[in-house]
Amino acid sequence: MPQQIDRVISLAPNLTEIVFAVGAGDRLVGRTSYCDYPAEAKAVAEVGDTLHPSLERIISLKPQLVLISTASQLEVFTQQLQNQNIAVFVTDPRDLDGVFRSIEQVGQILGHDEQAKRLVQKLRDRAGAVEEAVKQKQPVRVFYQLSAEPLYTAGHNAFVTDLMRRAGAISVTADVPGAWPKYSNESALAAKPEAIILPTGGSMGTGNLTVTEALRQSPAVLEGRVYKLNDDHLVRPGPRAVDGLEEMARALHPDAFK
Amino acid sequence: MRQDLQNFSRLEVRDLTVSYDHRIAVANVSLTLKPGEVTSIIGPNGAGKSTLLRTLNGQIRPSSGAILLNGQPLERLNRRSISRQIAVVAQEAELRFPVTVLEFVLGGRFAWASNAGWGWETERDLQVANAVLRETELSELSGRLMNELSGGERQRALMARALATEAPILLLDEPTANLDLSHQAALLALVRNRCDRQQASALVVTHDINLAAQFADNILLMKEGKTVQSGRPDEVLKPQTLRDVFEIEVLVDAHPVTGGPRVTPVHDTYRRS
Amino acid sequence: MITTASSITGQNRVTLRKTLVSCAVLALALLLAIVVMSLIGSEPLPARASLCALASFGTTTCGLSRDQFDILFQLRLPRILLAAAVGGSLATAGAGYQALLRNPLAEPYLLGISNGAAVGTMIALVFFGTNEWTRPLLAFTGALLATLAVYRLARGRAGATPERLILAGVIVTTFLSSVIVFVTTLMDATRIRSFTFWLLGDLSGSSKKLLPVTIAVAVVGTLALTLHARSLNLLMLGERDAFDLGVEVGRVRIVVFVVASLLVGSSVAASGSVGYVGLVVPHLARLSLGSDNRISIPAAALGGALFVIVADTVARTIIAPRELPVGAITALIGAPLFIYLLRRS
Repeated sequence: MPQQIDRVISLAPNLTEIVFAVGAGDRLVGRTSYCDYPAEAKAVAEVGDTLHPSLERIISLKPQLVLISTASQLEVFTQQLQNQNIAVFVTDPRDLDGVFRSIEQVGQILGHDEQAKRLVQKLRDRAGAVEEAVKQKQPVRVFYQLSAEPLYTAGHNAFVTDLMRRAGAISVTADVPGAWPKYSNESALAAKPEAIILPTGGSMGTGNLTVTEALRQSPAVLEGRVYKLNDDHLVRPGPRAVDGLEEMARALHPDAFK
Repeated sequence: MRQDLQNFSRLEVRDLTVSYDHRIAVANVSLTLKPGEVTSIIGPNGAGKSTLLRTLNGQIRPSSGAILLNGQPLERLNRRSISRQIAVVAQEAELRFPVTVLEFVLGGRFAWASNAGWGWETERDLQVANAVLRETELSELSGRLMNELSGGERQRALMARALATEAPILLLDEPTANLDLSHQAALLALVRNRCDRQQASALVVTHDINLAAQFADNILLMKEGKTVQSGRPDEVLKPQTLRDVFEIEVLVDAHPVTGGPRVTPVHDTYRRS
Repeated sequence: MITTASSITGQNRVTLRKTLVSCAVLALALLLAIVVMSLIGSEPLPARASLCALASFGTTTCGLSRDQFDILFQLRLPRILLAAAVGGSLATAGAGYQALLRNPLAEPYLLGISNGAAVGTMIALVFFGTNEWTRPLLAFTGALLATLAVYRLARGRAGATPERLILAGVIVTTFLSSVIVFVTTLMDATRIRSFTFWLLGDLSGSSKKLLPVTIAVAVVGTLALTLHARSLNLLMLGERDAFDLGVEVGRVRIVVFVVASLLVGSSVAASGSVGYVGLVVPHLARLSLGSDNRISIPAAALGGALFVIVADTVARTIIAPRELPVGAITALIGAPLFIYLLRRS
């Protein structure tokens, strides 16, 4: 790992956001086509998508460091990069604390320790404030609908499950193994969630705007507690996850945030 | 068995020309199949014999000329009515699904189904099927699967199926190809029998000139799609004619038993030096 | 006398009575399966109360809670009926292709027809997402176009021999698979995941409006092909033979292609590609009841319905509350079963 890094490529949207957030956005020379935030990121050269980035393009951009998220299944890739004397940093935050650690690590590698630490402190404060506000509240039973047909939800290993817990919610699928299980309609109906979260509007565009049929008679729908939240804030383990946490908490416990 | 088959059907072919693949397969052929007569088509490979046969039952479209079944042009008739009048015995396609001999022969009753496509075999259908199985000596094998039979037995089953259609016109394409001597004679005897007793007519394409000479009333000799000669066996089977058509020396004498013409090829290799 | 796999001996041929009896038995088994499988699911339901509610055709709750009643009649029963319709449709289509193409291996998936229907459905989803009726319609169109493509490709001088047909089918199916993969790469991660699941066969789709159509198509399609069963019997022996014996080969071919495309189209539009049903079930039907299509086509329809109902019950309970695509289960059961059947015959 070289001391001074001037050229870095990010192969995951959350990592791109982290690089910009710690103030090192000018060092970014490559990104994936899904890296769309912040707006300045769009000016950076594309190297493909998260699943199959182009090794040739990466090499031709002469980076000193490539940031990889294991969620993109790039283990094989990392060997090839190391053969080219390109340093590789792999990070895969699974929960909010993991995100904070990643921000600090990336900040350190890129020589922006101070900025990173300050950012993390601010984010911790905000997250802490949210958790404090909802501490006294009765947790809300929530169903996270990733897709209506077929019905997909957030399982035990999904990043957003941690956020839901912190936002004063109990995900009714928190114990289901895996990250994004295909869920049974019957079990969804039987779970009778008090609230439903529809991630939409970010990368998911205009999709996922309706509750799946099995939940149309749920307490959540009958009481109008269906919340459409920006999906990028909820599934990208980056600085905006705290935005997602706040949005979710405000939706579920509006009276805690007067 | 009914003695009267479809009012003695008559098949007339007038000046028929069939071409496909940019080649003329049959050129200006005319013939008439009269009830009670067996006509045999002989000729070298590529003479258009099988093509002619296939055109007569409507499978191939002629380029010009007319085929009249009881005075009606063949194109005007629907598939089922043609099949009730004309039956084909040809080389069998490969059987990929198990079927018993009885089921196979019952297939010949399809054209008589009141409700083609669906419907079940009637008592009459079964009677006819069992009768033709007796005629072709296949009764004992009726429950066996077709692909358990020998080549010759399958050929007889094909014959049985054609007979089961009760069609008065039979078109046979090399029907004796896989049969041993006794069954060859038996099969053609069956055909002869049908024609004599029930006024059916038959058109037999064969390579076996002597068999044709023995059983046919008329012979149509073809070469390269054209009719070389047609008429009675003794008229057509002349050494000069045969030499021109088959490009081989032949000896034609009288068959010691039947008196009809007997054709023997004379090869150089037959001579012993 | 050797009796091989076919249990039909000389006088034991297929009759109307035999057909009716076999179909009645299978229909009864199907009814039983529907009832029993609706008692099984990721959420436990009280058996007696459920049976009572089923018997009353949903008019009384028999003590089931509101949720239990909804699970039974809004979720489980429609899904089971959809499974039956899809299974019946695919098995009948398979039987039709096998008879027409004279090939025991002909199957909607192998011939590229399922993929054609899938591409049609994809187009409907992308361009006409809100209108559900476009899905079976475009799926049918896709299936029919794939059929024509396969047939054109396979036409040689000797006609479309079964070998050439299978080869053409493989070409068309792999081509359409690439098209599907290509479109998938244009989707976002979530859509890729859910679409891939659907492609493998997913009966959890909750469109109530399409269920009656899917059932109607299955019934009408099976009837239509059964009404041509005798012609198909002859076609199975050879196109030339069938022609000689009076079958209007061209017309029957069109009927089979159109009806089979309808069956495959409606199934794929409702539930993605459920594989092996069209291959294994008709084979089993012919093996146990004979090759006569008058009995093997309706039997295949009923057997296919049974097969997919059972496979779907496994798919939705084995890792409950998660689900597997039903196509994975039909493949897991179907492939070894098919190998076993091949060896026996």
